[in-house]
Amino acid sequence: MSMFTWLIIIGLVYLIALGTLAYRARQQASDVEDFMLAGGNLGYIIGFMTVAATLFSAFTLQGMPDFFRTHGIGSWIFLAISDGAMVFMIVFFAYYLRKKVAEKGYKGMAGLLRDCYETKWAGYVYFLGVFLFLIPYVAVQIRGIGIFLEAVFPEALPFWAWGLFIIVLMLLYSETGGLKAIIHADVLQGILLMIVVWIMAITCLKAMGGVGEMFRQIEAKESALLSVPGPKGLFTVQFLVASFFGIVSIPITQPQVSSRLVIMKDLKATHRMAVAVGIFAILVILPTLPIGFYGAIKYGEMSPAEFINQVLLFDQAGWVAAAAVIGLFAASISTSDSQIFALGGEFRSLLGGSEKSALTRTKIALVVFALAAWGFSILANDQLVLLARVSFTGTALMTPMVLAAILTRKSPSSEIVLWAALSILCLVLSQLKILPNVVMGVRMDLFIFLSVGILTLFSLWRTR
Amino acid sequence: MHQKKPFLWRLCCAGAILTSILSFSPLVLPPGVFTPKLGPVPYSLWMGILLTIFLVLLTYLGARVHPGHKEEGKI
Repeated sequence: MSMFTWLIIIGLVYLIALGTLAYRARQQASDVEDFMLAGGNLGYIIGFMTVAATLFSAFTLQGMPDFFRTHGIGSWIFLAISDGAMVFMIVFFAYYLRKKVAEKGYKGMAGLLRDCYETKWAGYVYFLGVFLFLIPYVAVQIRGIGIFLEAVFPEALPFWAWGLFIIVLMLLYSETGGLKAIIHADVLQGILLMIVVWIMAITCLKAMGGVGEMFRQIEAKESALLSVPGPKGLFTVQFLVASFFGIVSIPITQPQVSSRLVIMKDLKATHRMAVAVGIFAILVILPTLPIGFYGAIKYGEMSPAEFINQVLLFDQAGWVAAAAVIGLFAASISTSDSQIFALGGEFRSLLGGSEKSALTRTKIALVVFALAAWGFSILANDQLVLLARVSFTGTALMTPMVLAAILTRKSPSSEIVLWAALSILCLVLSQLKILPNVVMGVRMDLFIFLSVGILTLFSLWRTR
Repeated sequence: MHQKKPFLWRLCCAGAILTSILSFSPLVLPPGVFTPKLGPVPYSLWMGILLTIFLVLLTYLGARVHPGHKEEGKI
């Protein structure tokens, strides 16, 4: 059978599964809480799959192989070490977050911060931060899969039209089944991603003659890929440390993860989930290395998009390539919908009025957020991992503000909110090249992160 | 055992912080160096893999000794 026949079969199975899950979730959702927070009673297996699928997205299958191909083994330190520390952070943070939620209630982190700081500005600043930095991340997913699908079907649609198709599909089932539908789709995607990435890796390893031969060929072709900072000098200690802070902060600042920590059944399930996510991270990042090194040996000169299309599509057996297309499609959708839905949840947590009208306004907001992400995906560039990194770094700037609220008993000073707002502004200005990228020899993102951390500590000490 | 838990938990926290700091030190990331290898695997990669596994192991141990771990139904 050709790849297209396989694509139709696997694609239909996936779409039917997605539709069934959304329909069943809709049947089970009895009220607004069910729709927005999936009943708040997740066991550790479902919890682990949904957090893993939310974290490991299209950029794992597309961006990480390209990162290994271009920048070498430092990619492992960049992502895997940071993920190892991030799962530890889940164990640390979830306890305090769940205690605070038990005390103050939860509709979203923005609403919780507003209640903790006793000023609505805390909620607004948090919402602005996640909106500004999650939209590019969602755009990364949509753009990645759009470009990929354009290569699969060159005569069919341009990448932006594929992006629109994804947005419509995502909104259809998110708005039908709510968070429960998204979580079930995450489970489907997590399994699919793991299978596809390992099949790809084994195929690439076989083509290179095994692990030993892979490293020997890389050493002969470009030995700088075997150490840091890599051939292009990207992986400096400052870059890795700034990325580390960004990734470790994800459970604290990114609502698609923090909301899942809240809706876990109990702390024990949350802890088990964290360990399982750590194991999943190792198992899903490891196979991207041979895929990337295969590309470095065979397709070193290609652009990121050309390389990904070549290695995922044209060098694979028909059914593997078809599974890769659907796997990428599913990964892209499940990460995007989790983030768009989390943005909707944050928006809702700031709204007053009746639950029914808040839900209607939230559903409209979901459409607006999705369209904003689609628009940005048309304007974004092809450096998927680096774009994703800006998202991590941006939301990480709110870590001190969130931690101050969650870890302290009395209301922290509202000047902490001001520091968070100023730090976001500074990062945006540095991304727009209005502010420099380096200050006193320190990367701007790291400088801002350290500054906002110190200022927050000072505010806490002054008002203790 | 109950009183030992906060101490063991803090020990795991200290372990996670030290491992993270170590991961970005020249001991793990010597610039431009890929020896000593472990079999065919270059130095920073095998060290990075070991440190990642150690962090996940610390997460497991930390979860076991976390002071709130048994507060089932309360948190």
